[in-house]
Amino acid sequence: MIIETKLLIPRRKALLGAAGLAALPFAAPHIARAADPLKIGLLLAKTGQIAGQTEYLANGTMLALEQRNGSIMGQPAELVWLDEPSPQGATQNMQKLVQENKVCAVLGGALSSNALAEEAKAAELKIPFVCDNAAATDITGKNCNRYTFRLNTPVAVQCRMLAPYALQYGKKWYHITASFAFGQDILKSSRELLKAAGGTEVGVDEVPLNTADFSSFILKIRQARPDVVVGGLSAGDLTTFLKQWNELGMKGKIPFVEIAIGDTDIWGVGPEAANGTFTKLWDAYNPNNTPEEKAFAAAYLKKYGKPAADKAWMGWITARSLFESIDAAKSTDANKIIEALEAWKVPAGNASYSYRKFDHQMLLRNLAVSVREKITDKYDYFDVKATLPENPADLDKVFGTPEDVGCKMG
Amino acid sequence: MLEILLSQTVSGLVLGGLYVLIAIGLSIIFGLLGIVNFAHGAFFTLGAYLALTLVETFGWPAILLSPIIVGGIGMVAERLLIRRLYDKEPLISLIVTFALALLIEATVRLIYGGIGQPFSPPPFMSGFLVWGPILITKYRVGVLATTATVLLLLWLFLEKTPFGRILRAGSRDPEMVGLLGINLPKVLTWVFGLGCAISGIAGMLAAPLWTVTPAMATNAIMPAFVVVAIGGLGSFAGAVIAGLLVGVVVALTIQFWPEASGAVMYLFMALMLLLRPRGLLGERWERFE
Repeated sequence: MIIETKLLIPRRKALLGAAGLAALPFAAPHIARAADPLKIGLLLAKTGQIAGQTEYLANGTMLALEQRNGSIMGQPAELVWLDEPSPQGATQNMQKLVQENKVCAVLGGALSSNALAEEAKAAELKIPFVCDNAAATDITGKNCNRYTFRLNTPVAVQCRMLAPYALQYGKKWYHITASFAFGQDILKSSRELLKAAGGTEVGVDEVPLNTADFSSFILKIRQARPDVVVGGLSAGDLTTFLKQWNELGMKGKIPFVEIAIGDTDIWGVGPEAANGTFTKLWDAYNPNNTPEEKAFAAAYLKKYGKPAADKAWMGWITARSLFESIDAAKSTDANKIIEALEAWKVPAGNASYSYRKFDHQMLLRNLAVSVREKITDKYDYFDVKATLPENPADLDKVFGTPEDVGCKMG
Repeated sequence: MLEILLSQTVSGLVLGGLYVLIAIGLSIIFGLLGIVNFAHGAFFTLGAYLALTLVETFGWPAILLSPIIVGGIGMVAERLLIRRLYDKEPLISLIVTFALALLIEATVRLIYGGIGQPFSPPPFMSGFLVWGPILITKYRVGVLATTATVLLLLWLFLEKTPFGRILRAGSRDPEMVGLLGINLPKVLTWVFGLGCAISGIAGMLAAPLWTVTPAMATNAIMPAFVVVAIGGLGSFAGAVIAGLLVGVVVALTIQFWPEASGAVMYLFMALMLLLRPRGLLGERWERFE
């Protein structure tokens, strides 16, 4: 049996109609753009020893967008998350985000070595880059550029904040730092502070990333008998070190201090082994958190079923600064976003969060925290010793003058 | 100085013991199956996570189930996936086992999350032993003793049992073993499971010392390949000697040149391959020539 088919619309008309539809975006670009989501790049490691922190950074970033009902400038917005496996891989992915995914700005930069490469690429691509985690001093110091903004307090500043706590224990310091940008930066800053205080470095170890066994390093520290160990290990390596520090009986015998740690680093150590005094930016259990931060912590707990780590807050506040700045700019033009980021300011208790215009460094107070003796909640490890600087008016001074910082944007 | 050297050597032996356990499974799988198993580190991770879960759920004695379960998962992987690679190009087995490693890591990440999981040595193994200048924790002595016991049992199994003889014969001439009426595919499933179980033991032992994260295999798989390359592919004794040597060399480098401690094992491997391309005790394998 032959079934005769008959077109309802003549073939020629159908072809013309299809061609017309295909050409519509070219004929009326404003209509096509209105339907396209606005894209923001997210450049954070998906694997490796920093992945524990980046999971929370990403969660905080996504929550910030969700709290805005997924829109920026009244237009649907989406995050495009690519990996930063190495400095080279990170810059390649940044290029991909800009050229293929057409993002209008990039958030990320978990490790200092990656972020230093990413900020150079951002300047080359002329794309706003807001760094949410890396702490290397040079990011907003001598390597600064117009396109890069940074949340985390620079290593040199955090070292100055922590030094009085280390000096409380004595002037014989042992340094154990990671042998990449973050650790080298800590070593340099800490040595300068120790020298200025008239102290002695009784030992130093620069440790390769992903060191699995620290027992040989710990034996060296034991032999050197320092008053305090100043650490500069990152993420998973810090967790491993503290576990083995306790296992080898050093917990409570020699104090350990370090800057810029993350809650997740200590959660992985466990209540039995965790110890030390640290600086970090935020604590979910800090009663001085602003109402907005408390609402964020509650929303995070509701969505993810566990408390917000400091890194989640870092992802959230950085994303907020960018999203609100794009809103204020009313444009995805890089120059207008940069101007809006420079003007962005939100209250934070009796201080505020904002980026300095001359180096694009966020000014915010840090917390000096110590692991408490008895831990009853597996997510609540710290006693907040101080909020630094104590007087918010000193923030600008503590973060350094343009001459101290060495940032020349040109 | 002698005291320092002794302390660091003992510390290196513990690290080396873990390297041996990771490498020996890799070596057995390569020797008998001809597969370079990139997923080996993932089975190490599974061993650690299963140990953690079993201890939290059922208490410390249940930890012994961890390598058995890992071995079982390995056998399933062999039946479903690895078996199809025996007659394929080596590159395909590299790609497939690498994909398997990524799949296992992603599954672990999905279940447990990306952050480190706290896990400390059992209370009955806390504390130290001090012999003159040497300080070692009871748990590390336990790791060394367990490693030695596993290696001894494995050697007895391979050398003194009929099953071990079949394995050794099958690795040299699988066709002849098949002609003798032995079900070699079934044997190979058990071998893959055995290799994975040994990796699981290493993961179980390392969990209270290392950070338990989905990416912890990174710290295990590269040293394992280095140890196998130094010891000689497929050589049991070679892997044992090379693993302990690498551990001690790394520990002593930390003492005298810490910045190089991450690179020293690779330098050691390069040197060994220059002097003895087949590794310390590597033999000529007709199948792979």
